[in-house]
Amino acid sequence: MSTTTAKVASHPRQRHLSDRAIINLFVWPTLVLLILVNVFPLFYSLFLSFTNYSAIAGKAPVWIGFKNFANLLNDQQMWKYFATTGKYALVSVGLQTLFGFGLAMLLHEKFKGSGLITTLILIPMMISPVVVGLFWKLMYNPSFGYFNYLIGFPNPIRGPDMLASSFARQGVPGLALYSVVLVDVWMWTPFVMLLVLSGLKAIPDYLYEAAAIDRASSWFQFWRITVPQVAPLLLIAILFRTIEAFKSFDLVMGMTGGGPGDQTELIAVNLYRQAFLGQWQTGRSSALAYIILIIIIAVSNLYILYLNRMRGEA
Amino acid sequence: MANFEQTGPGKPVLEATRVDKVTPGYRLGHNLRALIVVLLAIVGLIPVFVIVITAFKTRPDAIHVPPKLIFTPSLEGLVFLFTERASASPSRLEELKKAAEEVQLGLVDRIALNAGQEITGPSDYVFRLRNSLIIAGISTLLSVVLAIFSAYAFSRYGVKGKGDLLFFILSTRMLPAVVVTVPLFLMYTQLKLHDTHLGMILLYTVFNLSLAVWLMKGFFDEIPREYEEAALVDGYTRMQAFFKIVLPQAVTGIAATTVFCLIFAWNEYAFALMLTSEKARTAPPSIATMLGIGGIEWTAIAAGSLGFLIPVVIVTFALRNYLLRGVTFGAVRK
Amino acid sequence: MATIELQKVEKKFAELHAVKPMDLTIQDGEFVVLLGPSGCGKTTTLRMISGLETVTGGKILLNQRDVTWLHPSQRDIAFVFQFYALYPHISARDNISFPLRAQGESKEEIEKQVKEVSALLRIEHLLNQRPGNLSGGDQQRVALARALVRRPAAFLMDEPLGALDAEFRESMRAEIKRLHIDQHATTVYVTHDQIEAMALGDRIVVMSEAVVQQIGTAAEVYYNPANLFVARFIGSPGMNLVTGHYVDGVVTIPGTQNRFSLPVGWRKPVDETLKESKEIILGFRPEAAQLNNAGKLSGEVYASELQGAFAVLHVNVNSDDIVHIRTDRVINYPIDTVVHFDLNPEMVRFFDPQSEAAIQPEVGA
Repeated sequence: MSTTTAKVASHPRQRHLSDRAIINLFVWPTLVLLILVNVFPLFYSLFLSFTNYSAIAGKAPVWIGFKNFANLLNDQQMWKYFATTGKYALVSVGLQTLFGFGLAMLLHEKFKGSGLITTLILIPMMISPVVVGLFWKLMYNPSFGYFNYLIGFPNPIRGPDMLASSFARQGVPGLALYSVVLVDVWMWTPFVMLLVLSGLKAIPDYLYEAAAIDRASSWFQFWRITVPQVAPLLLIAILFRTIEAFKSFDLVMGMTGGGPGDQTELIAVNLYRQAFLGQWQTGRSSALAYIILIIIIAVSNLYILYLNRMRGEA
Repeated sequence: MANFEQTGPGKPVLEATRVDKVTPGYRLGHNLRALIVVLLAIVGLIPVFVIVITAFKTRPDAIHVPPKLIFTPSLEGLVFLFTERASASPSRLEELKKAAEEVQLGLVDRIALNAGQEITGPSDYVFRLRNSLIIAGISTLLSVVLAIFSAYAFSRYGVKGKGDLLFFILSTRMLPAVVVTVPLFLMYTQLKLHDTHLGMILLYTVFNLSLAVWLMKGFFDEIPREYEEAALVDGYTRMQAFFKIVLPQAVTGIAATTVFCLIFAWNEYAFALMLTSEKARTAPPSIATMLGIGGIEWTAIAAGSLGFLIPVVIVTFALRNYLLRGVTFGAVRK
Repeated sequence: MATIELQKVEKKFAELHAVKPMDLTIQDGEFVVLLGPSGCGKTTTLRMISGLETVTGGKILLNQRDVTWLHPSQRDIAFVFQFYALYPHISARDNISFPLRAQGESKEEIEKQVKEVSALLRIEHLLNQRPGNLSGGDQQRVALARALVRRPAAFLMDEPLGALDAEFRESMRAEIKRLHIDQHATTVYVTHDQIEAMALGDRIVVMSEAVVQQIGTAAEVYYNPANLFVARFIGSPGMNLVTGHYVDGVVTIPGTQNRFSLPVGWRKPVDETLKESKEIILGFRPEAAQLNNAGKLSGEVYASELQGAFAVLHVNVNSDDIVHIRTDRVINYPIDTVVHFDLNPEMVRFFDPQSEAAIQPEVGA
C-alpha cells in the first residue's frame, strides 16, 4: 500500500523534523525494547537449551548438544504431560466454542436488559486467573464448598471431591482435569462469545430478509448466512484460546498445583517445576520451553492457513 | 396461527420488525430464549457471588459445613487482609478484654479479639497493592504511549518492511510466558533487575506493546488522512498535525487500548511470581498465598480478590462499547 | 399478476410517524413508483407491503386477499434489495433456483425455469460463479433472476439501482423497463431519483415526510404538480416558484417592475382560493420561459450553465428569487446583464402560499 507523504511546507526559520526522522523517532524505541526484552532472551534461552546449566549451581553452562531434547522426548512422563495438556486444550476450547457461539446467538436478538447481561457475562474473564483458581478451589471443597452443595451432595463423604478425583471416596481418574476444564470454560467462554457476537452484528439484515421471503429454513439460514460470516472471527477466537490453553499456568497453579498426583500437570506447570523448583534445571527446562514453542507455532500456522483459505474464498 | 393471520397481534407494533417475528409462536420462543440467557448468566455469576459473600463472612462461617447462605456480615475479611496478627496467649487475651471494658476498642481490635488474636501491625497487602498500582499503571502508560507513536508511523508511512515488522511485533504476543521466563530470570538476576519495580515495568510494557501497537494502528487507520494533509497544507509540521489533529480523534481507541493493557498488567501472575520476591511483589501472587494462622484465610483472600477485581470491573463497564471495537480489529479488516 | 390495495396503511415507531395513513390502489400489471427524498416513508411502505415491516394500522390486500399479517413468504411477492442480498458462498444458479427448491419443485422444472430466466437476463454464462466474483450489475441481474423465477404476483423493488455505478444504472433501468413490458408484471418500485421514476413508472406516488403528496402519471406530476413540494422535487432543475403580490388578476413581483396578468381561466379559481389574501406563488418550468427582447418580464443574470443541447440561465427577478430559464441557444450572457422574457400562459401554475397547494384552473385552460 503506497502512502502519500505530503511535502512539509518549509519554514526556514521553524525547526521541524523530516519525515525520515519522525519514522525513526517513533518506531525505533518500540523495536529496541521488544528486541531487548523478547528476542535476546529467546536466543539466550536457545543457547541454554543445549547446555546442562542450572541457575543455582553456580557453574558455567556446559555444552551437551541435543541431550536435553533427547531426554525430554524419550521421557514417558513428558509425553504424558503433553497428552494431558492436549486433552485439556481440546476439551476446553471445544466447550468454549460451543457455549460461546450459543450464548452469542441468544444474545444477538435484543431483549430488555440484553446489554446489561452481556456486560455481566464478561466479568469472569476479567478476574485474575489465579484468583479464579483459588476460589473454585474453595467452591470445589467437598465439606464447605458451594459446588457440591448446589449439585445436591452436601455430605462430603457421599459426594464427589472434584479436585481429588474421587466420588464417595472412590477414585474417579481424570475428574480433577475435567474440573479444571470446567473452570477454564467458565472463565473464557465470554471471550469467544464476545468475538462471535461482534461477527454476528456485522451480518447485514437484508440477507435474512431475503431468506424470510424465500421461506428458507432456519437450518439453511444458519449454515449459509450466519456461519460463513462468523467463521473467520470464530477461528481467531479458537486460535487464541488454543494457544492460551497450551500456556495455561495461572489457573492450574491456583487450583491444584498439578495434583492430585500429576493428573493436572499441564506442560506449562511442569516447565515451572523444572525451572524454578527442586533442581533448577535451567538448561533442560529451556529445551522444554522450545519444544512447547514449536508446537504452538505449528498449531498457529495451521489455523492461520485455514483462516487465509477461508478469507480467500469469501 | 390462523387467528393471528386474520387479526394480527393484540396491540399495535411500534418497533421495526418483520411480520413473522410478531407471531405469538415466535414471541414465545423469543421470550424463552431471553429467559434462558438470564438464567445462564445468573448461574454463571454464582462463583463471583461466592467471592463477594465470602469477603464479608467471619472465618468460621466461611468454612462452615454445609456452606452457609445466610450469615451475619462481618468486616473480618478486610481486617485480616490489611493486618498482621498473632495468636494471643490466654493471659494477653484477659488483659485485652479488661482494657476493652474501660476504653471503647476500635472495630479492628474488636474483631481481632473475637478471633482470639491480636494485631501486631499492618500486613503486606497494602504494600503489594501499591506495587500493583505502580507497576501496572506505569507500564500501561509506557506501552500505550510508545504504541501510539509507532502505530502512527506504521499507519501513515511506508516503513521499510512494514508487514514483517508488524508480524514480528504480533508474534511476541504469541510466545508463552514460560518460554521467556527462564532466560528473563537469568537476565534479570545478572542485571540486578530481579525483584525491582523497573524490571517488572519494563517487562509488562514490552508484553503489552504488541497488542497496543496492533490496536492503535487499527484505530489510526480509521482516521482519514485528509485531516492531516489539510493541516500540512496550512503550514503545520507533521508533529503539530499529529498532536493537534490526529490524537484528539484517536481518543476512543486510546481508551480501549489502555483498558486491555491495564487488565493484563493488573492481573498478571506468572511473571510476578517468578521474577519478584519481596520488594516488587504485586498483589496477585500474594493474594494466592494468604496464609493466616491455622490455615488459608479464605475471608481475607475473598476480600483481597474482591477489592482487586472492582477497579477492573468498573473500568471495563465504563468502556464496554470500546472493548467491542477493539477486539475485532485486525480480525475483520485486512 | 395481481392488484395491490393499501387501505389506511400507517406505520409508527414509538413517537415517530414514519408513514401517515395512506390509500393506494395498484392495478394489475401496473408499474408504480414510490418517489421521495430519504426518510419520506417510501421504503417503509414498500416493506410493509412485503411483510418485512409490520403495520401499525390499516390493511394490505393482494388480489383482494387480506395479507396484512401473512408471513412474507406467503404473500406471493418477490423482493429485490438495493444490495442484492444474494446468498454468499453459493453459486448464482443455486441462488436463483433456491426459491423453487424451497417450494419443492421437481428438478426438471427447476432446470427449465432457471434456464429461461437466466436467458432473459443474459446471465447464463455466470451461473456457476459465486456472487462475490461478480460485478455489481451482474449481481443485480442474478437478484432479478431470483425474483423472476418465482413468477410472483407482484415485484417489489427497493432502490435496486442505488448501489450501481452511473453507467450501469442507465442500462439496468432500460432492462428493468423491458422486463416489465415483457412480463407484464405488477411492480412497486422505490427510488429517490425522479428521473428514474419518470422513466419507469406508469404512475408515480410522490411522498414527503410520511405523507403522500401526489399520485399521478409522469406527465401529471410534471405538468400539474399538486403542491409546492412536488413542483420543486420533480424536474431537474425543479419548477421556478416566485412569490408575488396579487391584486385584481395581476401578479406583481415585489421590488421590481415585473407584472404578470393571470391567463384565461385562472381568475375565478385564484380569487376563490386566495379570498382576502394578497400573496400568491407563481410557478413555471425553465422551458416555460422564453427569452425575448420585447419580453414583459425582466431580471439580471446571476449565472449561466451550459448543459450541452441547451443552457440554463439563473436570473435574478428580485432580491429573493432566482429563476431558471432554459434557452436553446448558446449565447454568452455576462453576469448582471438584464434579460427580458415571456411566460407561456399555458404552462404556468399558481399556488396558495398558505396551504402550499396548487390552485386548479377552470377546465379547458
